[in-house]
Amino acid sequence: MPKRVLIVDDALFMRNTLRDIFSSAGFTVAGEADDGVQAVNLFRELKPDLVTMDIVMPYKSGIDATREIVQLDPGAVVVMCSALGQESLVMEAIEAGATDFIVKPFRGEDVLAVVKKVLGE
Amino acid sequence: MPSASHKYLTLFVAEASEHLATLQSELVRLEQEPPAAPLWDAIFRRMHSVKGSAATLGFSRIVDIAHAAENLIARLKGKQGKIERAEVDLLFAATDALVKEIVKLDKKEDDERTITLVDRLAKAAQALPDPALTARPVPPPPVMPVADPALPRLDVSVVLAKTCAAPGARALIVQRKLKAMGTLLEMDPTPAQLMQQKGGARITALLATLTVTDEVREALVALPEVDHVEVRIAPVARPVDSGFPVSPPSPVVSPPQASMRGQLTPAPGRRDLTPVPGRRDLTPVPGDADELRPEPTVRVRAEALDQLLDQAADVMHGIARLREAAKRLPEHAADRFEAEIDRLRRTARELHGRVMSARLTPFSSLTERLPRAVRDLAHRLSKTIELDVQGADVELDRTVIEALGDPLSHLVRNAADHGLEDPQTRQKAGKPDRGKLTLSARRERDKVIVEVQDDGRGMDAQALRRKAVKSAAMTQEAADALSDDAAYELAFLPGISTREDATEVSGRGVGLDAVQRKLESLGGKVSIRSVPGKGTTFVLELPLSVSMANLLLVQVGGELYGVPLHRVLLTTEYDLSARGGEGFEARSLVVMGELVRAYGLAKLFGLPSLAPPGPRPFVVMEVDGLRFAVSVDRLVGQEESVLKPLFPPLDRVRGLAGITVLGNGRPLLVLDPRGLAELCGIHDPVKPAPAAKGAA
Repeated sequence: MPKRVLIVDDALFMRNTLRDIFSSAGFTVAGEADDGVQAVNLFRELKPDLVTMDIVMPYKSGIDATREIVQLDPGAVVVMCSALGQESLVMEAIEAGATDFIVKPFRGEDVLAVVKKVLGE
Repeated sequence: MPSASHKYLTLFVAEASEHLATLQSELVRLEQEPPAAPLWDAIFRRMHSVKGSAATLGFSRIVDIAHAAENLIARLKGKQGKIERAEVDLLFAATDALVKEIVKLDKKEDDERTITLVDRLAKAAQALPDPALTARPVPPPPVMPVADPALPRLDVSVVLAKTCAAPGARALIVQRKLKAMGTLLEMDPTPAQLMQQKGGARITALLATLTVTDEVREALVALPEVDHVEVRIAPVARPVDSGFPVSPPSPVVSPPQASMRGQLTPAPGRRDLTPVPGRRDLTPVPGDADELRPEPTVRVRAEALDQLLDQAADVMHGIARLREAAKRLPEHAADRFEAEIDRLRRTARELHGRVMSARLTPFSSLTERLPRAVRDLAHRLSKTIELDVQGADVELDRTVIEALGDPLSHLVRNAADHGLEDPQTRQKAGKPDRGKLTLSARRERDKVIVEVQDDGRGMDAQALRRKAVKSAAMTQEAADALSDDAAYELAFLPGISTREDATEVSGRGVGLDAVQRKLESLGGKVSIRSVPGKGTTFVLELPLSVSMANLLLVQVGGELYGVPLHRVLLTTEYDLSARGGEGFEARSLVVMGELVRAYGLAKLFGLPSLAPPGPRPFVVMEVDGLRFAVSVDRLVGQEESVLKPLFPPLDRVRGLAGITVLGNGRPLLVLDPRGLAELCGIHDPVKPAPAAKGAA
């Protein structure tokens, strides 16, 4: 059964890029969110196997959204998508419970390498 | 109620003491350079670390002081501009108080002064704005974790992928994974230290855990961006014992790679001790994977190393005894036997050499406390002094390091007090106000050269000559005949000071002779270079280790003695009976075209001479350029031996340097050539020749 992904990013470009990467690798994109509030709601609704989470987003940051998601489900797998130079924010997200992270700009194989490892594949 | 018998107390005392020692140097740096954020962070973290551990152990007074100091540090960091001296003084006071508290942990009564100090720190902090309200909080420093000493320790080494774009975050994930598997005792570098660094960093960690090594390795390999993982069981040597208090913290010993891994096979002999690779830097090393190999270190009680050294020496003695015994075997059996003994002896020497290198302690363990001392001195003397320490990582045997402490601080005090001028005098001489004091250590073959250099007024050769004559150390003629360089050395005579007035700081020049004696007892020496108006340098020449000595064995009056070979110029035979007969006290013989005074060793020690009349052997020695010869009954041979210090009352006998045990198990007294020269009355011109003793 293909793994289900929730993609969270306020930039459409990034969401599309990630959707392509995941689809071509056999994942099912279960849903997309463009802010932190929506991300938490969709997580609750979709129960995805994996969330990719942008950090700087309107209404609710990716860090706060991650914290809430991990509270909902301590086993949630959340991979942060951060820009270069946001290391301290990534570290904050890890403290908040994020499973792992990828740094933009990334290539498809980088994303899949991290995702496969955190999903134990 | 804090419990002094807590099983982690020893560890706490050792680690807190180290933190506080480093803290002092960092506080000195605050005054010297415009303080940068990393320095403040380091200072904060140390104080916080001490506080955190003390809190875990329930030492509330330490917590109170450290907490108040920490608050002040946080606000001082946030303050723009110059740091007041009073503020730094206050932090020094806090550090001192903490050191005192830690040393006297078992005392329970409340100290009035602690309360006052905490109050003062708090007032100083209140006077400054709280940075937490204006800026991001200082990242929480690591609190030293403790773990059940019974748990196995694993040395973990992880190399991050070169492409890793956020090593700090990656390290944090590694850290979280490690913490999930056990108690993480150490991690170096920390995630915070790796932030904004390049990929490819090597992280080393010490983990207390029941998880087996393979499982830990697999868990780490499963992490993204982790290139290389090594997990091995750490050598067990944790300083957890009931002994209390531990006055100096046990030095952290970093065993040289060669000695722990057997990658080098050094040839036997004391030169083995020379290949000591320096400490590897723990920061990321690009390139060669071999360079990334971890070099695990363990903390070992210094005493354990002493015992190990003694035992290695015992093994060597045992082998020497076997060798003696083998001489009585029939020839065909002896050959095989001796070959085996030789092999064993090489191994034992290697073992001894490795224990010696494990005992090597960096020069920095001596210099760490100097910045503080020099700062206080400078304030008391109303001088400004810049201290520069070079070669802090040069390593010396622990015995040498320990013995060097007093002489070194004496020379530093001396330089600050007598050597460096006050700012006004310096201005007049066209020098910068700030006097410079340089302490350097460097390795030269099997020696370490330590120099204490000042850019002060230089020594006054004429004044030293005057003093020497006045104190009846020498005649006016002899003094006048001395070159300036030779006159400087007069400062080593007892009772000669380089300044008219005694000062509170360094007294009346008393002690330079003690410095020299100490250096000599270590098998080293000290000399002076001085240029009027430019400054003075004390050059200390030290052996890397002190305990191995090459000895010339001589027999006198039926007794064997050892003479340190490095003092022996040559041996010769001479017939003095024609000119003086038996029982001569001093004659002369010609050595290398030079007339050398000769003495009877038997006579000096009050022993009967058992040698028949006629030619007899002489040992020609050299001390400080002075040559003299002593006659013995017989030259017996040479032996390389582990020298042990003399115990009372033998340590009071002049002319003896130490004791060692011969292959046949008999103790051997080792002669001290300098002491002999004094006994002969040729070395120390201040004291009358002790002819009475020689004749006794």
